[in-house]
Amino acid sequence: MGRHVGIVGVGQTHHSRRRTDVSQAGLVREAVNRALADAKLSMDDIDTVVVASGPVLFAAVNQPEKWVVDAIGAQGKSVVRLTSGGGAGFAGALAGYYQVAGGYSDRTLVVAYDKLSEGQLQYSISTLYDPFWGREFAVGIMGFSAAYWRARMDVLGHTEEAAAMVAVKNRRNAIANPYAHYKKEVTVEDVLNSKPLCWPIKMLDVPPISDGAAAIVLASEKVAHHSTGRPAWIQGIAYCCEADNAPERSLMLSEPLALASRQVYRAAGITNPRRQFDVVEVQEPYSCFELNYYESLGLCPPGQAADLVASGATQIDGDIPVNPSGGCMGANPIGAVGVIRLIEAATQVMGRNETHQIKDAKLALVQSGGGWANLRGCAVLSA
Amino acid sequence: MYSAPDSHPVDLPSFHSEISMPYTLTPGRAAGTFLAEVKNRHIVGSRFPSGRVVAPAQDFSSVDGEELESFVEAPQTGTLTAFTRVQGDVIGLIRLDGCDNDFAHLILADIADLSVGMRVRAEWADGVTESILAIKGFVPAADAPIGEIGPLAETEEAIGVIPYSMTLPYEHAYGPYYGRMFDEIRDHGRVMGVRTSGGDDALLPPREIDDITHKRTGTWKACADTGTIRACSIINMAFLGQTREPPYVYAEIVLDGASTRLIHMIDIDDIESAKRQIKPGTRVRAVWTSGERKGSLADIERFEVIDA
Repeated sequence: MGRHVGIVGVGQTHHSRRRTDVSQAGLVREAVNRALADAKLSMDDIDTVVVASGPVLFAAVNQPEKWVVDAIGAQGKSVVRLTSGGGAGFAGALAGYYQVAGGYSDRTLVVAYDKLSEGQLQYSISTLYDPFWGREFAVGIMGFSAAYWRARMDVLGHTEEAAAMVAVKNRRNAIANPYAHYKKEVTVEDVLNSKPLCWPIKMLDVPPISDGAAAIVLASEKVAHHSTGRPAWIQGIAYCCEADNAPERSLMLSEPLALASRQVYRAAGITNPRRQFDVVEVQEPYSCFELNYYESLGLCPPGQAADLVASGATQIDGDIPVNPSGGCMGANPIGAVGVIRLIEAATQVMGRNETHQIKDAKLALVQSGGGWANLRGCAVLSA
Repeated sequence: MYSAPDSHPVDLPSFHSEISMPYTLTPGRAAGTFLAEVKNRHIVGSRFPSGRVVAPAQDFSSVDGEELESFVEAPQTGTLTAFTRVQGDVIGLIRLDGCDNDFAHLILADIADLSVGMRVRAEWADGVTESILAIKGFVPAADAPIGEIGPLAETEEAIGVIPYSMTLPYEHAYGPYYGRMFDEIRDHGRVMGVRTSGGDDALLPPREIDDITHKRTGTWKACADTGTIRACSIINMAFLGQTREPPYVYAEIVLDGASTRLIHMIDIDDIESAKRQIKPGTRVRAVWTSGERKGSLADIERFEVIDA
């Protein structure tokens, strides 16, 4: 059993459609400076650094961690870079967690970012397809995601209206989030009538494209109190995979997420997620994914996600608020999103979320993922 | 004589692919200011609170991460600290007078005439702006006096975006499984997979190890060129790298006799009728290209719905 690990400092940029005033390294530095200040630390106090970002094709700089460590003053420290598509930030946090839990570091800085304004999003993502087998027909991950949502409509009743309710909820929540850059209230009708991009995915089911960075400081129990009297303790964290094109892959429930949540719930003592969690943050690159996660995380039984969102339970004032931050709908700097979701959940259980604090939140669930929907993870944070 | 290890190159045909994309890179304030000022034939550097000066300008010190205090104008003379020849060009590291870093640029001289420690001077290119190549290179200048760092009160506005592009060609090796599959497609117009370790259904594309049982896969099997849609979406947006005009259907199809998906396209007339006619469970058949087959998935031009 590893050591207890807490999130003791957080920082994120004010995300933007396009930041032409800073380079990738400058963007990262903003988030790092905020996280270190929040943790009442300087770079001298940090033992190890994890840099996470999406595919290098997004911004055409190979091994960007070399550039990043120079810009944040981390020269001479242990540095690794992790990339895992959309789940890069979460994978980075997992690597940082292992370092601290394993006793190899007392304080680890995890910084995650993407500067999506610089490259070609769909084309870059399409390169995750087998070059022999389907890449020429790929539509980023959107064509694929829409295809399996269409299949889940028939099997699980994830209707266009239900996904539209997710988009409406998250877009409304994003309005209060100071770090979000897309802030516009929409109705279910607006979503349903928005332009089909990869039907059933329509324009308003899709998050914005963003430049942004996010950083957290992970600390061992021994030193956490130097930064805060109330860390967000990581009670469990896992990131699982499934075979990409295996015969039994149905993509109805997310099998890797169900596996990850089983592991994490056991570690954290969760037996009734719907009742026990005070707040949930999920990475919903398209609105339809949030419905899939309700079921895969056990917030409701399979086939009842549409009812759950329609009931209002996942609204900010519901009994199981999901994405009070607005999720990806407010900002989606892909590689950073896993860390952004951890920050939003951490500040909730630390009792100091700036604008959308859930009253008395003690236990939070975080989900993130990447790849071809075949990498999915979750974490439980507690006060 | 050494005995040759059994690792001689095997020269089989490979699959050519290319990734080619435009970018809009953001250099940030310091590099952006450097790039803006080359049109005035200024070499802009950064002075840091520690007193260190680096040129070209950087936002953050690579020594300790401190933020730049002010821009300075670096002299156009310096010392050659290292050099080499790359594809006919001579590349050198230059330490400009008064600076604390070396930076790489072209040395416009015969390599035989160079020595470490020699004095050099910048030569500017006419008509080049917003690029480090506005400095054409450095030339030997034995008598160049030692320059000094000068103040730079006013600077041009930093350049925010630099257009860039990258083209990456690849030659992918097929390997024995993909090799046979594409040979069969080319020579016989049939799609062949391998059976799962314990069953009759074929895995497509074929592979050595069964993903579920982790055992070796079975014998080869020809699949039909008809199948059932497992999942599909209607593509109605244009993007770089797209191979068809939207709208069309992106479909993941399980061919008859197979158990895994093949990704392909279905032509449609309009979105509304496609929503009704094309869905999970819809039966489809391959439409092969009429010309010579090349041995790729593109030998199937598209799939079409089999009318009930």
